[in-house]
Amino acid sequence: MSYRYATEEQMNRLVDYRGAREFHLRKDRSKKDKRMSLNEAIAEYVQDGDILAETGFSYVRSPIQAYFEIIRQKKKDMIGIGSPMSNCSYLMAFDCVKAIHLSYIGVEMRGNDKNFARMIKTQQAELLSLWSHGSMALGFKAAQLGAPFIASKQLIGTDMIKKNPYVKVMDNPVSADSSPVAIIPALYPDVCIIHAQMADRYGNAVIKGPAINDIALSAACRKVIITAEKIVPEMALREDSIASIPFMYVDAVVELPYGAMPGSCPGHYYWHREWWEWLVRIATPSVENIEDFFEYWVFSSKDQFDFLEKLGGVRFLNKVERQMAAAEAKIDDSLVSFDYKEVIPKWD
Amino acid sequence: MTTIAPANPLEMLAYNIALEIHDGQIVYVGTGLPMVGAILAKKTHAKHITMVYESGGQDPLEGEMPWSVGCPFTFRKAPMSMEMAISFGQSALGYVDIAFQGGAQIDMYGNVNTSVIGSYENLKSILPGSGGGNDIGSLTESSVLVGLQTPDRFPERVDFITTPGFLEGGDSREKSGLLGGPTAVVTQVGVYDFDPVSKRMRIKALNPGMTVEIAQACTGFELLLPEGEIPFVEAPTDEILTILREVVDPRGVFTKMPGM
Repeated sequence: MSYRYATEEQMNRLVDYRGAREFHLRKDRSKKDKRMSLNEAIAEYVQDGDILAETGFSYVRSPIQAYFEIIRQKKKDMIGIGSPMSNCSYLMAFDCVKAIHLSYIGVEMRGNDKNFARMIKTQQAELLSLWSHGSMALGFKAAQLGAPFIASKQLIGTDMIKKNPYVKVMDNPVSADSSPVAIIPALYPDVCIIHAQMADRYGNAVIKGPAINDIALSAACRKVIITAEKIVPEMALREDSIASIPFMYVDAVVELPYGAMPGSCPGHYYWHREWWEWLVRIATPSVENIEDFFEYWVFSSKDQFDFLEKLGGVRFLNKVERQMAAAEAKIDDSLVSFDYKEVIPKWD
Repeated sequence: MTTIAPANPLEMLAYNIALEIHDGQIVYVGTGLPMVGAILAKKTHAKHITMVYESGGQDPLEGEMPWSVGCPFTFRKAPMSMEMAISFGQSALGYVDIAFQGGAQIDMYGNVNTSVIGSYENLKSILPGSGGGNDIGSLTESSVLVGLQTPDRFPERVDFITTPGFLEGGDSREKSGLLGGPTAVVTQVGVYDFDPVSKRMRIKALNPGMTVEIAQACTGFELLLPEGEIPFVEAPTDEILTILREVVDPRGVFTKMPGM
């Protein structure tokens, strides 16, 4: 099987457990101060041609400001993976990602992402393999466990498995009934960026709320960048042993408050729902629209603070902080409104 | 006594979803109408259900209607959140009783397509992909398929099997090694189950005002009929409709008819 935008080496690298181990063995072990700017971290650790794993849950604690920096730095020819992986759509629109291992790209009830559809239809981007959320999650989990594969009951009987060169179905070799299982190989992307609520300068990081695949991905990926709402003293993590990710997995630590905006960050801020509807319903239907949209939100924002100003600055920030605190039942929510105006383009 | 407007088709669909849920069950909930149906069930006949979510939220406190399966209301003061691989493991382990699944196409054997209309080689339209749909439908003891029933959306065979139903029918699912399977299909027209032998979709009950002819006209394959008279789903009481309209989905985000 040959691919338009992926080499055989890139295809094999995703499941190369020896290669991943060798890479990890060569990593700098020293417990050193890994803090740097977002610009430096992306420049050094995200390289053209890398297999980039999405983290968080599309718009929940996802390192979206770091993805915007990837676009600004014009990284190219990367391969996207993740469950879910909705941010890969716009990374494809700007040629950062050219091919994907697909689980799901979309914004649930907000509508289909027409940019993703157009990129695939016009062969400007390519689907390399098809997955469900859970089967891909098991691939990352297998990597974290140090297991070459996991046998599961997902993907069996589907057309997805015909478009997945990695997963094999076989009779269960260890049970009496030999009922078929899907063999899901451990998956080792090259790099992921994880947005954590807290980290120390060495890379020990704390995830609050749903971890999704991020703990597994921190172990599976060859390179890991942590962006964090707060950098805390190491003692703050030692106090109750609360770190989710150990420092030795981590290559770079970036203090990046509001780094998940315009998505949400549990414990910090709610999402900007209209932004996602603007993206899906107004920006993705045409190339021109998505270019204009990203010109305004990304290329003409130098950092997350510029972006936050465009969302409404301090007033917006206070609103989404109150909304998250109310959603988490941490403040009296009786006067906190979740009303919003659904974005319905005039042409719909 | 004032009378209130009868259920619109979306409200009826939400009510049909709710009726599939039994008290005490653990329910795997997705966004949209299944969430409305599950919350309605919890507010009416099934007060002791536990909701779990794909993003890992377990048994959250009640709050606003979640906007996404990753919304903070899916883990509001939850005792814990599970990692994604582990959250689907709950279904395989037998800790989830029922899950709901929608799709662009549902076929006569309950196979679901959320991947592509046409084929990847000859694309008509491309859909978001499986997400957790395949996992839920492959692993959960009972999955209920939810759809707005039209001949296009209910073809004889889906263009692409994203989530397996009974595959080719008969014992093909059982032989394949999959767990659980679809037990019902709920639409604005009625409720369907599957013939125990052929595994073809069969009318179980019709919504008030519906007929076999309407059901058939909304379907791209021949529906099987049950033996004897076809029962009707009882219309929701005013009390249930009031809970649905005032408590469950007060802004009508999911249950107001478009343009009304």
